[in-house]
Amino acid sequence: MTTRARDPSTTARAPAPGPPAPTPPAMRLAGAELIDSREILPGQWLQEYTAPNLVAGARAGQFVHVRTGDYSGLVLRRPFSFNTIDPVAGTLTIHFRTIGRGTEWFTRLRPGDQVDMLGPLGRPFEVDPRTQHILLIAGGLGIAGVRALADEAIRAGRQVTLLFGGAGARDVYPSSLLPDEVEYVVATDDGSVGHHGFVTDLVPEYEAWADQAFACGPLPMLRALAAQASTRRHRLGVASLGRKRGAGRPIPAGSAQARRKAFLQVSMEQNMGCAVGACLGCVVMATSGTPQRVCREGPVFASDELDWEKGW
Amino acid sequence: MKAKRRVVTSGTRAPTKRRPTVRKIKPAIRPLVRRPDPITQAGRNGGSGPGGGGPAGTSSAVRPAPTIPAEPLTAVDLSVDLGRGLRLQNPILVASGTFGYGVEYGAVVEVQRLGAICCKGTTLRPRIGNPTPRVTETPGGMLNSIGLQNPGVDAVIAKYAATWSGWRVPVIVNVAGESIADFTEVARRLDGVPGIAGIELNISCPNVGKGGIQFAIDAEAAGAVTAAVRRSTELPLLVKLSPNVADVRPIARAIADAGADALTAINTLSGIAVAAGRARPLLGNVYGGLSGPAIKPVALRVVYEVSQVVDIPVVAIGGVTELADVLDYLAVGAVAVQVGTAIFADPTLPVRLVDELAAECRRLGVARYDALIGTALPKHAAPPSAKGVEYRP
Repeated sequence: MTTRARDPSTTARAPAPGPPAPTPPAMRLAGAELIDSREILPGQWLQEYTAPNLVAGARAGQFVHVRTGDYSGLVLRRPFSFNTIDPVAGTLTIHFRTIGRGTEWFTRLRPGDQVDMLGPLGRPFEVDPRTQHILLIAGGLGIAGVRALADEAIRAGRQVTLLFGGAGARDVYPSSLLPDEVEYVVATDDGSVGHHGFVTDLVPEYEAWADQAFACGPLPMLRALAAQASTRRHRLGVASLGRKRGAGRPIPAGSAQARRKAFLQVSMEQNMGCAVGACLGCVVMATSGTPQRVCREGPVFASDELDWEKGW
Repeated sequence: MKAKRRVVTSGTRAPTKRRPTVRKIKPAIRPLVRRPDPITQAGRNGGSGPGGGGPAGTSSAVRPAPTIPAEPLTAVDLSVDLGRGLRLQNPILVASGTFGYGVEYGAVVEVQRLGAICCKGTTLRPRIGNPTPRVTETPGGMLNSIGLQNPGVDAVIAKYAATWSGWRVPVIVNVAGESIADFTEVARRLDGVPGIAGIELNISCPNVGKGGIQFAIDAEAAGAVTAAVRRSTELPLLVKLSPNVADVRPIARAIADAGADALTAINTLSGIAVAAGRARPLLGNVYGGLSGPAIKPVALRVVYEVSQVVDIPVVAIGGVTELADVLDYLAVGAVAVQVGTAIFADPTLPVRLVDELAAECRRLGVARYDALIGTALPKHAAPPSAKGVEYRP
């Protein structure tokens, strides 16, 4: 197994001049062949594609934008987080729920069918090199956003705890699809499996253990987590691991360095058009008052970058 | 009943127990199989060859044998003059708002091969835009309500003009404003900046001083803003028509008379979508602009009507997804075509359309694509759609 904590091609690139100009990894337009498609939970599908060009250099937290059919009905591509990335085999998986005509179109694909993928897009989760304990928090389909980070962290020798929240037993992500090394804790709204209540209830127990936390899920969940993180940031997480060289020097908000220092990083979701930053369709509001593009500055943000109180 | 058809791709993978019925249905829409484009493919290979290094297609000697008989692209003249010296190498433009500032798609698109780029709508002061959701898919199209989020004209010039000035492809800055003074001030700041080849006015904005009615739906206001901008800049001036009007012809005439160099038709149609749960409209701004293949017939009608009443060039926009759409627009009098929404699905489409248009001209044996323009226009002025489309007295 190769150790690929960080892709050298993305860190070696010189930073672009000017204020927080993120350096996106080189995206590519590539054909991808479906090799496996199955319904892992009622209405939830896991599809595996071969796309060696696209997978090279892709990191957890990034996503692909996949074309659906022709223009006779569906016009826009659909964004999917990398659910798992296998750079050796050149394969990736996506995990989605059938919520409309686009996702239903995907379920009708058969092994051998080709789709057109644009990616890898967006910026990945930033793990501090000193982080040993990683807390992943997933709400429902949010598991698709953080799943790849579990693999990446385990390959880098880190310990991973995954807190998963779902509506009921039928929505709980199968533990068989997770690496054995992951500690998996489940909460359900109806109490049918695991903790009876929200996944956010479980967080305080693990917060002191975790060096960094990464979350993906519904907006109310992320908002609650951000509120928890904001009150405890000063004594928890990598901040407690000691002063870094260059401490005190201002780090531009939104830079990879600033995100690495944040205790909580969240993967955001928004309706998307182009997914490359051209259409400005998928923005979230930052505390700075500037809308941030989920597709370009995100989908991963440090929780303190975003304005959680504002309506959007 | 178990599914009869099963494609086994891996011997190690355990077969899934449950075969959902939906898998048995033959896909209504076949997935896209991308065929390598013979012309661009040849160009790329040529560039990477031993004698290459120049732009695509400079050295025909190192090209591998293409699958279709490839004649040199120079055999067909695709260049078009939109007035005031704005000469494009081909009539395929990318539409404002769908291509950002020309840099976002990076290496995925051969930007320099486009006819021109219309950049994201630019205003005098920075705008943060509308609440989300801002986009949603609709049957055969999409609704958007970005709200003209942009960093303001000064930031756009500072950030992108230097890049644009090094480009072969002209960049037309799309300008929006809420008063005539706004428009003229933006135009004045763009005037003479290297890298800016022209201005496209988005007049589907509320004229705040005049009760908030859009410039685009009032011939007098549309003419006034065009004339004011005309006086404040020497740049080539395109004005984008709105389809949300009863009769587009007097508005088009007023704009042409006010000194516009070309017209762009059409902007988006206004529409709404309803959110899941049916408790409220979907878009954060309630109203959005409809674009995509769904609006092509409307855009065709507007181009058809407008090109009969003005002498200046008309640039068509609305639902272009393939060469046939380009040819349709040319046939009803457009001299050039903008590609918009389709870029989101297929970023390489505009460049491919350039090659396909050249190939079509060769197939038809015409040396200039002009021969395709206006072939479907009537010999005598056709009655306007404002007089009714079905009932003829």
